[in-house]
Order: sequence, then structure tokens, then C-alpha cells
Amino acid sequence: MADGLRHLGVGRALALLVVAASFGIAIAWPLARLAIETLGSGLGPFRAALQPEGVEAIGNSLVVAVLVTVLALGGGMALALLTEHAIVPARGPLLAVILAPLLVPDYVSALGWTRAFGPAGLLDRLTGLELPGLYGPVGIVVVLAAGAVPLAYVLIVGGMRTRAEPDLTRAARMSGADGITALRTVSLPLLWPVIAAAGGLIFATAMNAFGTPAVLGRPAGFATMTTRIYGDLAFSSADAAFERVLGLGFLLVAVVVVAVLLTGRLGPALAERGSIGGPVGQLRPARRLPIALAWGFVLFTVGVPLLALLLTALTRAVGLPPLPENLTFANFGRAIDSRTVPALLNSLVLAGLAAMICLALGAVAVLAPNPAWRRRGGWLVTLGFAVPGSVLAIGTLLAFGRSLRDTLLIILIAYVAKLWALGERPIAAAVGRLSAAGAHAARIHGADAWTELRTVTLPLLVPTFAAAGLLVFIFALHEVTISILLYGPRTATLAVAILNLQQLGDPTVTTALAVLLTLLLVACGIPLLFLHRVLAASLRA
Amino acid sequence: MSAALVVRDLGLSYGSTPVLAGIDLDVAPGESVALLGPSGSGKTSLLYAVAGFLAPAAGTISLDGRIVSTSDRQMPPERRGVAMVFQHYALWPHLTALETVAYPVRRSGQPRAEAHARALRLLALMGVSELADRRPAELSGGEQQRIGIARALAREARLLLLDEPTAHLDAPLRAALVAELAEQQRRSGAAALWATHDVTEALAVADRVAVLRDGRFVQVGTPRELYECPLDLWTARLTGPASMLTLDVIESGGDRARVRVDGTEVALALASPVGVASGMTDVCVRPDWADLDGGLAASVTALWYRGPHTDYRLATSAGELELRLPGAPRVGVGARVGWRLNRGWALPDRGQP
Repeated sequence: MADGLRHLGVGRALALLVVAASFGIAIAWPLARLAIETLGSGLGPFRAALQPEGVEAIGNSLVVAVLVTVLALGGGMALALLTEHAIVPARGPLLAVILAPLLVPDYVSALGWTRAFGPAGLLDRLTGLELPGLYGPVGIVVVLAAGAVPLAYVLIVGGMRTRAEPDLTRAARMSGADGITALRTVSLPLLWPVIAAAGGLIFATAMNAFGTPAVLGRPAGFATMTTRIYGDLAFSSADAAFERVLGLGFLLVAVVVVAVLLTGRLGPALAERGSIGGPVGQLRPARRLPIALAWGFVLFTVGVPLLALLLTALTRAVGLPPLPENLTFANFGRAIDSRTVPALLNSLVLAGLAAMICLALGAVAVLAPNPAWRRRGGWLVTLGFAVPGSVLAIGTLLAFGRSLRDTLLIILIAYVAKLWALGERPIAAAVGRLSAAGAHAARIHGADAWTELRTVTLPLLVPTFAAAGLLVFIFALHEVTISILLYGPRTATLAVAILNLQQLGDPTVTTALAVLLTLLLVACGIPLLFLHRVLAASLRA
Repeated sequence: MSAALVVRDLGLSYGSTPVLAGIDLDVAPGESVALLGPSGSGKTSLLYAVAGFLAPAAGTISLDGRIVSTSDRQMPPERRGVAMVFQHYALWPHLTALETVAYPVRRSGQPRAEAHARALRLLALMGVSELADRRPAELSGGEQQRIGIARALAREARLLLLDEPTAHLDAPLRAALVAELAEQQRRSGAAALWATHDVTEALAVADRVAVLRDGRFVQVGTPRELYECPLDLWTARLTGPASMLTLDVIESGGDRARVRVDGTEVALALASPVGVASGMTDVCVRPDWADLDGGLAASVTALWYRGPHTDYRLATSAGELELRLPGAPRVGVGARVGWRLNRGWALPDRGQP
């Protein structure tokens, strides 16, 4: 018995050491280098950032992020009220479509929106109408907000389910409150912490967004902080430009971290994600109008853009109507060429390695000696998730650029820094919910510490591991903000290839590639749906 | 004055699963009706239909003579003027006890000061004045439910819906709260529909008891009717301890009969609404309907001392008999005893349970 304990002690110490070293390499050192570089060179970087172009980018980013946050929270709240407070017909399909944008990268959505509602898009072709201002701030806000609605939805639903929400609302109705009053006096006050945390997360995501502003902003000359950083880093070798990169990067991370800290509880909110099977049933059927609005919303923001994307990818040439005689699979053939195949391989290798590393690092949560350590560790790695991708990329470049420039390894280091939390949070949350009684029962019936871990704790966590690994894999496959700043001649990822193709022109090939990536992501996402059920069941038991 | 609640031919289903069917119920003003049934029998569904949280598939619900629910029209819950005490308390985590009890008063349009004053009076009535500034997280289950009851009383409703209000409390606390709840309900003059799976609770507090099984009423009557004249074996078992003896009826008339047990002739009170035929008959016997010290022979197979009384299990030639007598055990397990049968009830419905 004592023997077993000692072995676990040594193993645990080694594992924690590896985790600490990884944290230092991937997160602490790059961020420290960025801070040293920025603050060490006096006020130069800030002066550079606060020149008119920089100020404009800062203003644009803030306005876009605030609007996206407000719109996404409103949409997510409305959908959450509909699906959680009423019986909705075809609930499963509706949830699937609401959550679908989580799988679709934002630049793919943006492409889809241009093909659906832009000039010469699907809507234009059918009705002669187009969405005014799609290229520019309006389009960026709308596309980002539509993309953030599922995140808001998932977080708010998670918050509702942690309480006996329907009963509390019923108690208000029995006390004489009408639906609106019950919402105002009971549901909303109880949800404030969750709404605030979701708002902080969405604000940070919108500040960090790169793909959508790149696709929709650059043609209109509309720059955000992230696209300005990219422009300065990729297309300018002047020292002044690099100073501005540092200044903007530092300000970006400051704004995001402050926003996340102010709204608080990012960690719990992340861990909470739809983790609890809530009480359904005993509800009234929803009215027809809200159901119609919800379906209309998801079809307009998800269905039509994806359909337009698919039709463009299947059409022989841009400008031809998507009639049977114009349809072809040739674009997919042309999309798969000597540039994109290595890019696809790069993406898969990076995503696979990132998933394995983040899982291994996250698994140490099981070993962390006590919950307080788990919490602190979780907070630290969540920092890596909150830091904007562009800033992580700059920091990694400063820290390892000299020796690792243009290698997959430098991208991998930044990915681990960014996605660690996605591997760690679900596992830590699951470990937190495991009852100690199971482990105690194993020990009392003769299992030593390792045997208990192997036969009781780990088997219970298998679905969580699978889900967390897939989550990291999907996000790494999505990722463009980091890779576009760090890729070299031979290390472009599929996402980078799509964005570069999009800048160069041929929409049919670009969309074909985007469709391929989306299919890949959906294929990875489907098991998540099933795992989610297994997960909920295994943790409830 | 019209009935507080009238339910006519109510049917209810979740999706394609029927939960309630053919429910008819009248509750007079001030009357207390218990809904007795095992879990899953439809008690909560019936309460939720009356409250307006569930729309019926068929039938109507009227409150104070006004129709509030049909299969296609629903009055919203807040306009029905009924109050509810929830099984899991359903206290709002962000409100103090005072704010919680003041909530219904505020909704009725009273200014804050009046609402708080009234809430304080109700908290005092429930004996929890000192908890006014606490939130649910700082309260025990019993305290939470006292706040829940005060909130329901604050609604000043003509009908109280009680959804197993004591199901999650410890036994001694439960008895105290049940007594208090019944007292407050009587004092407020409100009618009550009280869902419970606890037969002692139902018999003690209700003017009438409605027995629910698989979404249908199997029997509705006063507590005494339910206890003394259960309709079938299932209801007999649900409404208290019941032994089934097989007796040879020689002669019966009115509510008396002569039967033969063990070759001995015995006269006893024996009735059934459908009449008692001569010959072998299954008879329900409650534990207080027989006694030790009689001419019939049996042996004690088990006994449980419960303080004020003792439960005996006897093996008799007519079947196994549960017996409850005041005081400590008079004999030991295995003892041969004489016993006496005072009363029986021939079940009118012999269907299988």
C-alpha cells in the first residue's frame, strides 16, 4: 500500500514537472518575450500603435466586438429561452442547426455569406437583392455575431440547466408574475453571471477574429487590430511597422484580458458547456411565431450561406447560374493540387499532434493533488486561450523565431498555448464531478493507487478524453490567425491556403476547398454529438 | 358559492404517452383534497394542469366557475389566482426569504413597503422571522419549505396546490410541517389540492382522498371510506396495511355475517357494496380489526415493537394476518396464541393488483 503511494508520488511529480515546463515554453516565455520587447523599447510601440491608422484599427475592433457581443447574446438568449422553456417540435434538428456554426470556421462562413448575400450572390441572382455593406463593418459584425450565437446559446443553456430553472420560473408564475415579469425578476437575474461570462468570451473572440475581417474587411479597406497586425507583419519590413505590431498586440491582449477578468469566471463558464442533462418535459408547447423565427434565423445565417458555398463550389465557372448543366465536381479536382495537398497534410499533422499534446497535458488534471491546484492550473491555461492568436503568434515568433522560423514546430508550440485549455477544461470539469466514493471503494477493496486510476477513474473519463481531443483537433483544423503569421514556404495550413486563394481570385476553387475543409470538420464533429450523450450519461451515473 | 375547482373528463399526454385520462374532480371552497398515488401515477401532472403549466389534451378545468383550461385555450398561470408549494421548494437563489415572500404581493401591485410588511407577518406566522434576510443556500430543507409555504400564503389564493411539499424532509420534521401546513390552509380558507404518496399524510389532512393509478382515479372518498372500504386489493394496499384472509361465509345480511374459521363459527362485521355471497370469500382485514385473546388458533411468525404499539404477524388457517395492538409485545415469536376477528371488508372488485 505504502509502496503504491510512493510510486504514484514520483510519477505525479514527473508529470507535473512536464506540465510546468510545457507551460513555460508555450505560454509564459512567449508572452514574457512580447512584454519585454514592447515595454523594453520605451514608448515607441505605443506611439506607433496610436498613430491614426492604429487608432482607427483599435476603434474598429472595439466597435465591432461590442456590437457582436450584444447581438450574439441577444440571439443566444432568445434561442435558449425557446428551446429550454417550451416544447419545440423537431428539437434535435433545430439544436443541430443552431450549433452547426461552431464547426464552421469564420472565414468559411464569411465566404459563404459573400456567395449568398454579396454582389452576384445567390440572393442577388434570385431576387436582385443583396445585403448592403456586406463588405465592411456591417458585414463583419453580422457574420461574426451569427457565428457567435451558438457559443452564447451553449453557455446560457448550460447556466439555465445548472439550476432547476423551469421550477423557479413556475414559482414566479404561480406568484402572479406574467412571462415577461418572470423573465425580468427571476430568469435574468439568475443568469447574469453566465451572461457576463459569455459576453466576455464572445467579446474576446470577436476582438481576436481574423478570418472574417480579412475576407470582408480588406476589400473595403476596413482594418481591425488583427488584420492590421497581419498586414504590418506580412507585407512590411519597416521597423516602424514592427513597432506598431508590438504596440497593437500588447493593447489587444490588454483589452481582452481586462474584458475577461471583468466579466469573471471564464474558467467555470468554459467547463460548464452543456455538461449537465437538464430537466425537460413538463413544459408548454412553444408558439408558432418564435419557432418560425428561430428556423428562419438559422436557415438565413447558416443554411443559405453554406448552400451558396456548396453551389459555387459545384458550378463550372463564376457567374453561371447553378443549373444542372453547369454543375461539376471538377473544382474539387482543381482544388487538390501540389499546394493544397501538403497544406492539408500540415493541418492534419498539426491538429493531430496538438490534440495529443493537449490531451496528455490535460490528463495531468487527474493527478493534480488537490482541487485548488486544478483550479489555479486551469486559470493559467485559460489565459493562453484568452490571449489573442495574433499576439500568441508574435510572442512565439519573438521567443523561437530565430531557430524555428518556418517550421511546423513553431506553429505547434503556439497551437498548444492556444488550445491547451480546450483539452484541460473538460477533463478537469469531469474529474471535479467524479465522486470520490468510487475511488475509495476501489482502494478499500484492494486496488492500489495506480490500479484504482487504471480500473476506475480513467475508464470513467474515456468519453471525456475523446471529446476533449476532438475539440482540440477541430479548433486546430479551424485555426488561421496564428498559422497565417507563422507559416513559411513549406508549412502553410489548409486554412492559410484557403485565405490566400481567396485573396488571389478564383472563387470556385476557393469555395471547393472551403467545402472540403467544412466536410472534414463536420466529420470530426459528428462523433462529438454522440460522445456528448455518453458523457452526460456516464457522469450522471 | 361555486366550486373552487371543477375538473371534467381531463386527459393529458406527453407527446404520444398518455399521463391522465378521464379525470373528474370537484373541490369545494375551503375543502382539502389529497391526491394519493405512487410516483408516476400522474399527481404532479394533474397539479400542473390546474396551475396552467400543462395544456390538457381533452376536458376542461374551471376555477371559481370560470373555465381556465380546455384542449385549445389556456389562461396563463399568473392569472388563475392559485398558489403552489413545490416539491423541491423552488426558492429563488438570488432573493432573500423576505423578498421571496414579498414577491407575490408585489406582483399583485402593492408597493414595496406594504409587500415587505405583509411578508414579515407571514414569516412570523410560519415561525421563521429570524430568517428574513437569508438566501436559500443558507437555509435547511425545512426552513426553505416554510418560506415556500409563506410565499404561497402571500398569494392569498382560493386554491392551494401542494406538490408533495414534505417529500424531501426528515420524518419528525415532516409531521410537524404537515400539521402546520394543514392548519394554515384551514385558517386561510383556501381550498387545497394536496399531492402525496404518503398515506398517513393523506388520511390525516384531507377531507377527501382521490386515489390515482396510472393516470386514472380508481377511488375517491373520505379518508374513512378509503381505509374501511377500499375498492380493490391495490387500493387496499395503498391506503394502509391490509391482510387478505379467505373465509367460509355461512350467512350474511346487512353489514353482519357469520363465517367459519378453523371449524369455529364466528360472527363479525362484514360488508361490501355488492353484497357478500355464501361460500369461500376473500376478505380484507385491517390490522386494527382483529385482536389477540380469542377462540381462534394461530402462531406468531414475526413481531415489531414500535413504541406506542406492536405489530404482529400471525399464521392462521385463513391466511397470514397483520395485527396492530397497543403496548409492548405480549408474546414472543413462535408462540401459539388465540385470536379474534372483529371485522372484515369483502373487496367489491376482485381484479388482480
